[in-house]
Amino acid sequence: MIGALIYLQVQSIKNRLRVRLRRLKKPKYLVGAVVGAAYFYFFFFRNLFTGRGGVAAGTADATPPETLLMFESLGALALFAMVLSAWIFPHERAALTFTEAEIAFLFPAPVTRRTLIHFKLVRSQIAILFTTLLLMLITRRFGGGGTAWIRAVGWWLILSTLNLHTLAASFARTRLLERGVSNWRRRVVVLSALSVVLAAAILWVRRTIPAPEASDFASLDTIKYYVRHALESGPAFYVLYPFRLVIRPYLAPDAHAFLLTFGPVLALMLLHYWWVVRSDVAFEEASVELSRKLAERIAAIRAGGNWHSTAGKQKKKRPPFALRPAGIPAVAFLWKNLISAGQAFTLRTWLFLALFAICIGGPMGASRLTPGWLPPTIGIVTAILAGYSLLLGPAILRQDLRQDLVNADVLKMYPLRGWQVVLGELLAPTAILTGAQWCLLLLAVTMFSRIPEGDAVPLTNRLSFGAGAAIIAPMLNLISLVIPNASVLLFPSWVQIGRERAGGIEVIGQRLIFMLGSVLVFAFALLPAAVLFGLVFFLSRLFLGMITALPLSAAVAAAVLAAEAGLAIWWMGRLFERFDLSAESVS
Amino acid sequence: MIEVEGLTKLYDKFPAVSDLSFAVRPGEVMGLVGPNGAGKTTTLRCLSGIIPATNGAVRIVGEDLTTNPVAAKRQLAFFSDEPRLFDYLTVQQHLTFTARIYQVSDYQEIGRRLLEELEMADKIELLPGELSRGMKQKLAIACGLLHSPKVIFFDEPLTGLDPLGIRRMKDSILKRAREGAAIIISSHLLHLLEEVCSHVLILKNGRKVVDGTMGDILQKFSEQSGDANLEEVFFRATGEAKEGK
Repeated sequence: MIGALIYLQVQSIKNRLRVRLRRLKKPKYLVGAVVGAAYFYFFFFRNLFTGRGGVAAGTADATPPETLLMFESLGALALFAMVLSAWIFPHERAALTFTEAEIAFLFPAPVTRRTLIHFKLVRSQIAILFTTLLLMLITRRFGGGGTAWIRAVGWWLILSTLNLHTLAASFARTRLLERGVSNWRRRVVVLSALSVVLAAAILWVRRTIPAPEASDFASLDTIKYYVRHALESGPAFYVLYPFRLVIRPYLAPDAHAFLLTFGPVLALMLLHYWWVVRSDVAFEEASVELSRKLAERIAAIRAGGNWHSTAGKQKKKRPPFALRPAGIPAVAFLWKNLISAGQAFTLRTWLFLALFAICIGGPMGASRLTPGWLPPTIGIVTAILAGYSLLLGPAILRQDLRQDLVNADVLKMYPLRGWQVVLGELLAPTAILTGAQWCLLLLAVTMFSRIPEGDAVPLTNRLSFGAGAAIIAPMLNLISLVIPNASVLLFPSWVQIGRERAGGIEVIGQRLIFMLGSVLVFAFALLPAAVLFGLVFFLSRLFLGMITALPLSAAVAAAVLAAEAGLAIWWMGRLFERFDLSAESVS
Repeated sequence: MIEVEGLTKLYDKFPAVSDLSFAVRPGEVMGLVGPNGAGKTTTLRCLSGIIPATNGAVRIVGEDLTTNPVAAKRQLAFFSDEPRLFDYLTVQQHLTFTARIYQVSDYQEIGRRLLEELEMADKIELLPGELSRGMKQKLAIACGLLHSPKVIFFDEPLTGLDPLGIRRMKDSILKRAREGAAIIISSHLLHLLEEVCSHVLILKNGRKVVDGTMGDILQKFSEQSGDANLEEVFFRATGEAKEGK
């Protein structure tokens, strides 16, 4: 029977791979795959082959034994914490993750419970092997030394043992529940045992080494000494001993040391395996429920919803303002998407934040009691945050076409011109970003009362800078949001639509190309506005002075950006009207 | 009034719908029938402006869907088999949003009546996630009917409805037709279409194989081989094998 289940698994992987390879026939995926592969090669694999970033494959590790011991102790402590959490936090009965199709086929079939567990174990091995590969690449990339195959097997042993323990713990918890031991009783027992161990360890450390002085914590070596002493001797050593066994193969400096440490951890794994397969716990009902929830969540994401938006869990959100039936239709999208963004984005919230910035920032910036470095530091940090929000904002705020195109059937039916839909969709993220930036600017203006360890900055200068930035911010945001939204319409299969994430090296490559392209387009779009800004600033500073020059040139630049955005929205509207959903679904 | 002339839709080179022409007048209900993959849904999506037709002309109440899409779309409503809703808007907020899009000034009164008719007046504060499938479909219908469309397209309207829901849906379709709406229903439930439709159009491989009033078609096929119902007509017209025969 297990043969059939392995067949299912192998065929699923084979078919998934075949689909991925077949779609490489299309240039958009092929180019993405090439870029993705290049990224992985230059960022990860090159180091693996050349030995850069770590010790070359096959050579002995040069890490000192005491450092290795320290790593072993910290690794064991981390593993201990993970194992402990499996006994404290979960509250549900044991449930193995199956897809709905697997439940439909396997649960009514003449398959024993033990076979299902074996199927689950085989399947989890695929994930473990993949994670092992990733961890290998990451640890090699960031300087993890040692022999590659030892690291790989080491990771595999750690992950497999942890996986088996988590599964066994879930069975044991269910068994305890069946015997009338409630979750809280179990938690009290586990936490009590943990308290005893901690108390014993602390007591032992206090008795054997002198208490540290406050000055001791300034030195990393002293801290290391205390940590090592606490973990590598006394009660903690014995409690962490099984976990050390699991970590040791990974840290083995050579093949001989590895073989010596391999035996105990293999025995530990086999013990866990025996524990799992011998546990006769009913997991079917909870598994069916779990698979239903998973399927619901996937369906919600495919429909453009939230990962957490399962039935009944999502909360009703307050509308940001009252929407009247008459008026500009695009405002309806602003209203709808602000509701989607959450209750935080109401006019009241922004007014409150602005008031907060003035009431706190103003007195703090002006007060002589405030440490001299604090206001300008806060001012600089908030100004930098405002700048960063321009780059990061469009990636975070997706309450626009990127979210709504999964409902394109509905949008296309509305009696609106394409540009009206596009404009409406862009309004909410632009408004949110602008609101956040204005608040940050307000704080920066009120706080930046003096240059760090230097002269005071006059309020008029600060207001001039703030006004300039505030005038240009909405248009910059609009342009930065136009780019990803236009990309959705131009290359729908290159951009993530809704909240469902596609996978694969070709998709990573596509995102890299898209990111680079966005930066180039953004820079190109800013060019005319930047030239005009410079020109107007130069002339107006000569005739009107610095204070007026900044907002004036910002207004001119904003007008240029607005014209660009207007043109882009009109063009995107045409694209939206011609957007053929069927062609996309076929491709 | 729905007028379709030479409607063609190609997916790459594959013709999903080929040279389709027909008309549905006010008060008429046309059943769009065909085997899976015949092009029913594609036809309805082209007629409602969701996807562009490759060739041909569609006029909704005299407005050309290609040259004057806004005026044409103002007159129509399309109900897909799977209700498409915004999962973060409540029932009431869906109506408010739709009213602004279609500029329905007295939407509160119309919405209240629609919700009462659809027996969901007590659910205005609920989110789609808190509604059953049937209720979601009713909400989609309330939103679609808010602007009193003169042309209505239904794609498998009875999917997921209980017997009472089916009865109410049939009554609702007939009521809209009596009020002068031109209606097209795509469904595999032939007995339903026989009850509700005044006209039938049978598609096969994207092409029209039969078109006419229900009475004429049934009579024509009865003449050929005794009493015929729509199911018999469907199997003979499409050449599909009927199980057991």
